[in-house]
Amino acid sequence: MTERVRVLLWRLAILVALVSAWEWLTGIKAISRTPGLYWIDPFFISRPSLVLKRFVYLASDQVRLSIWQMALSTVQSTLWGFVVGVSTGFVAGLVLGRRDRLARIFEPYIVAFNSLPRIALVPLVTMIFGFGLLAKIVLAWTIVFFIVFFNTFQGARSVDADLIHAARFLGGSDRQIMRTVVVPSALAWTFAALTPSISFALIGVVVGEFLGGESGGGLGYLIIQSLGTLNAADMMVALISLGVIGIVMALGIKQVESRLLRWRPEYRRRA
Amino acid sequence: MKRARIVIRDLAKTFREDGREVAAVQGATFEVLDQEFVAIVGPSGCGKSTILNMIGGLVAPSAGVVEIDGARVAGTVPLQVGYVFQKDTVFPWRSVARNIALGLEYRGVSPADVQRRVREAVALAGLGGFEEAFPATLSGGMRQRVALMRTLVVEPQILLMDEPFGALDTHTKIGLHAELLALWEARHQTVIFVTHDLSEAITLADRIVVMTRRPGRVKLVHEVKLPRPRDVIALRASEAYAHEYGAIWHVLGEEFAGPAR
Repeated sequence: MTERVRVLLWRLAILVALVSAWEWLTGIKAISRTPGLYWIDPFFISRPSLVLKRFVYLASDQVRLSIWQMALSTVQSTLWGFVVGVSTGFVAGLVLGRRDRLARIFEPYIVAFNSLPRIALVPLVTMIFGFGLLAKIVLAWTIVFFIVFFNTFQGARSVDADLIHAARFLGGSDRQIMRTVVVPSALAWTFAALTPSISFALIGVVVGEFLGGESGGGLGYLIIQSLGTLNAADMMVALISLGVIGIVMALGIKQVESRLLRWRPEYRRRA
Repeated sequence: MKRARIVIRDLAKTFREDGREVAAVQGATFEVLDQEFVAIVGPSGCGKSTILNMIGGLVAPSAGVVEIDGARVAGTVPLQVGYVFQKDTVFPWRSVARNIALGLEYRGVSPADVQRRVREAVALAGLGGFEEAFPATLSGGMRQRVALMRTLVVEPQILLMDEPFGALDTHTKIGLHAELLALWEARHQTVIFVTHDLSEAITLADRIVVMTRRPGRVKLVHEVKLPRPRDVIALRASEAYAHEYGAIWHVLGEEFAGPAR
């Protein structure tokens, strides 16, 4: 049995144990009557069998807004927020990372804006951009931009000065050195920020969807709607879907990362 | 009589360290002739790398002048100069072939020509089979070979080398001496080679500039009278080599062994 298979089996075992315990414990009435354990009750945390049933229902065409449409909407907003946040954060990090004066000028503004709790911006963003896709993208952007910006900034600053000298002696212009030395060197730092960025983009989007109502759709809408109807099963469907979306996106980033950073020893394929 | 390509006159450099002025180089004067191979030797901290950095335009002199082909070097990298660093400066995200190709790409050489010249350089450096390898998978000696070929492939007329083999073991080092000399015999670049290893300087150079301890001044300029082409291994056993070594060590040794100033 290879290490890989062993790890997979353990993961599977834990999943099965958790789901079974959930199903089994929520079926025992006596537990929920024990003080402090009231929440171990299908009313609060639902049961896997109920969640599955609701999932099948939500995935069917009996509903106005199916789980697929909601998931698609969330994924779409997240990807947009992610792409816009990463690209603007990357460019800003590169520019300020290589321009000391600009960095000094902008530093207080960046720090101030970054220390604002993003959730405090939600009403303002909603006022300006409404409840649709754009508002969610903007919310995701406000978080992702800064994570990527700070990492890329550090990366661009810590480019080995000797590598830049070497490139200059090979005849590189400023622009060429930016492209062939600074960018690849900073990319390793940027990538370190991408996996957390996906989670944060999801946060921004889901918060936007909390407010967005049915027109905005999305899994955040399903969660808020379930709260309104006290429907724990639907809420679980939404939460599990969000988890799955997060994992798939993180794996996607890992794939791109191991391609683009394949020069780094830790990404070398094991023989 | 060959013309002087590099003229160094009364060159000085002081650095600020913890608020104090520290003189690294003081009044260094020497010339390097066209196609000449000059080594600068001296104890560590004598400012020999600083001199090289001033010649390359990486560091601005505090006083004095550096001229390359009659033009004063002032804070810009002269185009006809190639530089091989002591530190490993191979670009880790580029394969061997793409590292060597970089300077040609910068200069806008056509892709077909880049490919041909890289292929030649790879063959010349004995790096065949490693074209697509990333530097992290190479030994220190191979990486330094890549750095050397990357510099040579753009055919600089002047080559500045800052202890390029300093981090390598003796065997690798001697192997690279032979390769460097063979490459130099083919093109006869003007070379300034900084090292603290006297045997390396004698093996390679036409003339050796011996520096004093900090603040570095030129103590002696010694002409190496060993015939070329040189066999780097047989050379070390020869009497002439021992004679050269003795002549310089006599002077350089004072700088290593003398009382602290």
